[in-house]
Amino acid sequence: MKTQQLSNAAGPIDALATHRPTRILRLRTMLHVGMKMMFYDKLKFAGTLFGVIFAVVLFNQQLGVFLGLLSKNTMFVDNARADLWIVPTSTETLQPGKPVPMSALYEARTTPGVAWAEPLLYGGASISLPKGGSEQVTVIGTKAPYWRGGPWNIVAGSVDVLRNPDVMIFEDSERDKLGGVNLGSVREVNGHRTVVGGFTWGLLPFAPSYSFAEYDYARVLLGTPSDETSFVLVGVGAGANPDSVALAVRKRVPAYDVLTTHTFRNRILRYLLESTGIGFTTATSAMFGLIVGLVIVSLSMFSSVIDNIREFGTLKAIGCGNKDLALMLLVQSAAYGLIGSLIGLALISNIAEAMRSPKLALALPWLTYACTPAVMVLLCGLASLLALSRIRKLEPGMVFR
Amino acid sequence: MNNINESPRVVDVNGLSKVYGSGAIAFEALKKVDFYADAGEFVMISGPSGSGKTTLLSILGCVLRPTAGRVVIFGHDVSTTRENELPSLRLSLIGFVFQGFNLIASLSASENIALVLRLRGWEPKQAQSEAVKLLAEVGIGEKADSLPRDLSGGQRQRVAIARALAGHPPLLLADEPTANLDGQTGLQVTELLKDLAAIHGSTVVVVTHDPRIHNLADRIVQLEDGQIRKESL
Repeated sequence: MKTQQLSNAAGPIDALATHRPTRILRLRTMLHVGMKMMFYDKLKFAGTLFGVIFAVVLFNQQLGVFLGLLSKNTMFVDNARADLWIVPTSTETLQPGKPVPMSALYEARTTPGVAWAEPLLYGGASISLPKGGSEQVTVIGTKAPYWRGGPWNIVAGSVDVLRNPDVMIFEDSERDKLGGVNLGSVREVNGHRTVVGGFTWGLLPFAPSYSFAEYDYARVLLGTPSDETSFVLVGVGAGANPDSVALAVRKRVPAYDVLTTHTFRNRILRYLLESTGIGFTTATSAMFGLIVGLVIVSLSMFSSVIDNIREFGTLKAIGCGNKDLALMLLVQSAAYGLIGSLIGLALISNIAEAMRSPKLALALPWLTYACTPAVMVLLCGLASLLALSRIRKLEPGMVFR
Repeated sequence: MNNINESPRVVDVNGLSKVYGSGAIAFEALKKVDFYADAGEFVMISGPSGSGKTTLLSILGCVLRPTAGRVVIFGHDVSTTRENELPSLRLSLIGFVFQGFNLIASLSASENIALVLRLRGWEPKQAQSEAVKLLAEVGIGEKADSLPRDLSGGQRQRVAIARALAGHPPLLLADEPTANLDGQTGLQVTELLKDLAAIHGSTVVVVTHDPRIHNLADRIVQLEDGQIRKESL
């Protein structure tokens, strides 16, 4: 017995030196226990997951609506196929304002580095409805044969119908609103008899829908003098730098702003964010979604710790340190964040598809899908801090009480 | 942890005091207690409720700090050990058997045991296979995959004993291991604990007020009102 006693007494000395699991092994162990504990209480698991899914869906829905609204306001600039825009000074958004003289067009055309320049007419018009009353549209006038500035997304007819006199292309999703128009229907636009020659799909800005006419007909409809236009679109030559060409054009038309498409787009976005309540309202709703999700996850994880406090005490007593248990909680929160994000993104993606229409489209770029899991993992990690603080204060001695 | 040295005395406690609370509500649970356990011994600490048994066991298990006194385990003064070193000390030196079994509900019987081994650095597969062996040793090898909720009280305590023995810790501490068991099962479980501890070469300190198992002890220490009243062989 004595020999055994001595060897046993010596054993722990070696044990203390050798019982050092690698970090990877420790991580795997805590991952294993964390996952088992997480999936064991299915109701709590479902409740916590619901919180994450709720946050993901609400946040992305709000974000999608917001980005959708922004894209409605920049869709024209994005699709006009121009490198530069000559616009009245202080233009902040694409709306009819002070005209640009046609001389600016000619100055642009003769500037080195410019490949082409075309005028663009942009203005509001009224369509008389068969049963009385009227509807507003935004008339766009573009030049044949290149039709820079649109139309695009044509779903019926072709752009060349605009070469015919008194013909326009309207937005398909507004057909009912315009009195049930079809190809060949006739309507009065600003008092001028106009034939419906085609339809586009989805060209609904945050204003009356876009309707396209050949430039000269648009000038008649809008009553624009022949020496004026709304904007000038400019294309730069191959290999030319748009910024340098913009600078050169600006020197020739100093009374007007010459913007690259990128700058104009940013200017519109900045205007929308700073001068309207859209950004604040959407950001508030999105944050609200995240906060509610965060609170649900936080409380669920905390209550899970409280419910299993004896188990955590036992883990501490048998040798788990605070770092091990923190790792376990972080693993759990990461799992909640990831699983909830995947389910939430699948849901919101289906919701977006179901509600997609020219009037309201949720814009969910790939970056949203890529960033949501990372954001949710981070938030769930934050949510676990409350539970973590409880575990940190937990005395392992409680297992004997 | 560098003052560990070879000694047949596994536990050596001198002048141990523990006071809960302070001022007018202070309660002295242990009053200058001297206690020891030699290697391979099966020591029981007995006494009425509130006598300080569990407080003593908690301090021996390094899960509670003494107010005063010196606690030496394997020549290592744990009363002065830094807090962050205690978990690995417990993991390496001490196996616990709790009154309420304290198994992790979401882990199977074998996983509960393998957990301790994995924390000690065993590879998962080896830990699992050792856990199954230990379960066979405690007589419930066929319950390896069962969750604690599917086991009887006696079976749970057997799993707890197997977990305490996992990795052959030199010191086993058992807190009222028979409290939640019927008389016959309690006796069987304690006999099993004693037999396996002898095979594994572990020293055992059992806190109990169950007189039916007193005859299994090598030595019984009687605690009363925070002080050792009697020691018997």
